[in-house]
Amino acid sequence: MNRTFVEISGRRLPLSNLEKDLYPSYGFTKAQILEYYRGIAPFILPHLRDRALTFKRYPEGVEKDFFFEKRCPGHRPAWVKTAEIPQDDGEPMTVCLINDLETLIWAENLASLELHVPLARAGSPGTPDSMVFDLDPGDQATILDCARVALVLRDLLSRLGLATYVKTSGKKGLHVYVPLNRTETTFEDTKTFSKTVAGIMQKHYPDLVTAKMAKTERKAKVFINWSQNDASKTMVCVYSLRAREKPIVSFPLKWGELENLAGLGDPEGLQVLHSEAVSKAIKKGDLFQEMLLKEQKLPHL
Amino acid sequence: MAVQGLWSGTISFSLVAIPVRLVKAIEPGHVSFHLLHSKDYSRLSRRMFCPEEKKTVPPEEIVKGYEIVPGKYILMTDEELESVSPERSRTIEIVEFIDMKEVDPIYYDHPYYLVPSKGGEKAYQLLVEVMRRTNKAGLAKFVLAEREYLVAITSGDGALALTTLHYSEEILPDEDISPKKGKIEVGEENRIKKSIGQMIEDFNPGKYADGRRQKLMDLLAAKAKEKAPVEAPEVEQEEGEGPPDLVAALEESMRKVKKNR
Repeated sequence: MNRTFVEISGRRLPLSNLEKDLYPSYGFTKAQILEYYRGIAPFILPHLRDRALTFKRYPEGVEKDFFFEKRCPGHRPAWVKTAEIPQDDGEPMTVCLINDLETLIWAENLASLELHVPLARAGSPGTPDSMVFDLDPGDQATILDCARVALVLRDLLSRLGLATYVKTSGKKGLHVYVPLNRTETTFEDTKTFSKTVAGIMQKHYPDLVTAKMAKTERKAKVFINWSQNDASKTMVCVYSLRAREKPIVSFPLKWGELENLAGLGDPEGLQVLHSEAVSKAIKKGDLFQEMLLKEQKLPHL
Repeated sequence: MAVQGLWSGTISFSLVAIPVRLVKAIEPGHVSFHLLHSKDYSRLSRRMFCPEEKKTVPPEEIVKGYEIVPGKYILMTDEELESVSPERSRTIEIVEFIDMKEVDPIYYDHPYYLVPSKGGEKAYQLLVEVMRRTNKAGLAKFVLAEREYLVAITSGDGALALTTLHYSEEILPDEDISPKKGKIEVGEENRIKKSIGQMIEDFNPGKYADGRRQKLMDLLAAKAKEKAPVEAPEVEQEEGEGPPDLVAALEESMRKVKKNR
């Protein structure tokens, strides 16, 4: 195994197999993955902070098997911050918190290309600080259909006084978020609210939207997955890479930008590649910053 | 892929240091069941319940208390607990070598294997061999999952095993168990000795199996063939469902949204 050592904040970290191409059909090595995460670190770290990380590891690259890892590996360096998360069976589980650059680089050295986090912080696992609508297009639908649904959602929720933020999933879908940041909110609230919204959307746009999980219902429609609003679920973190042929990023968009891009009718135009992601983030700042700050109360519950 | 280790580090004494990983040595044969709601087969989840307020308590309202007398508690924070937890160790430092026969099996807690990591294979083999020939076990202190354990490292069939040992203060005394010594009749003693002699065999654990587990697995297989498994419901949306106020507000907003599009 080829090893290189780096030192970050005075901590020595071994890096292995840097030359390994983890996106073979595009050509993107582990060194380039680490470089991406180093560049995006100032933007992604606030969104990973204090959240129980789920690793989605691709040790042999995006074309081979992956595995999820929720438990923080026992071989972690002593300085990796962890939290204890209660589980169904009552036994707490130790999870990793990515709160600094060295932990991020350590996680990426494990080929955890995708970083998934819950909607709540580890210290208050029952309090979602946002509500999400995970827009997932069926086989014959595209990200453009998701954009149509997202824009209706934005208008609908804005009439209820709720500000929304959108990011690409980095795959075929879009994620619409409502920041809440109130200690009183529960997953029961966000689930009830999002489920009701999804039902109304389906009722008014039956040809475009389904709120049902069954695959057969989804075909040419956009599935509004409201059930992600659950303590046990995770979402891919904003600015995380995705494991598909190209190193595409789950990236935040301004609503106006989404409207323009969707108007051009090119689904690929909505995808943000790694190189573009870093330069866009530096130029525009963190479009998801309000996700961590804005306090909103879900009305009519 | 290689077996995921529970811990990795080095095992060391005097000038020897061998990189190793700790893996489990036991896969309990326990058959476990999920708890389902008999009405709809949903998986049930546990909630902490406050009998006083008669409601579910969210995690952020849960604190730890040590009961000193019935109903009276000393509160302990996670930080305080952490302050007394030992630092994670990177080495298993053997402090002495002992004869394993001197260790009463009552001290044995949990067995693991030690697997050599890259580069440590040769030194590992050597230690396995020497420890086997000298019939000695290494005694070490070692931190695993925030607890410091006394462990015995032994050499088996070409591999090192690590057994966590109980601390002597954990062992309950047996003094009160053995009855007052009486006179043993010679005839009685010989009769028992003879019975034992007739039953002596070599230890062959493969002869024995967990009969209940096997019967249980057979029963499950038979039942699975006989009848399709019950299914947990998918969490589904019923149309028009939701808090009436919210539904009304959304319908009203939707009307305006559609008008403006």
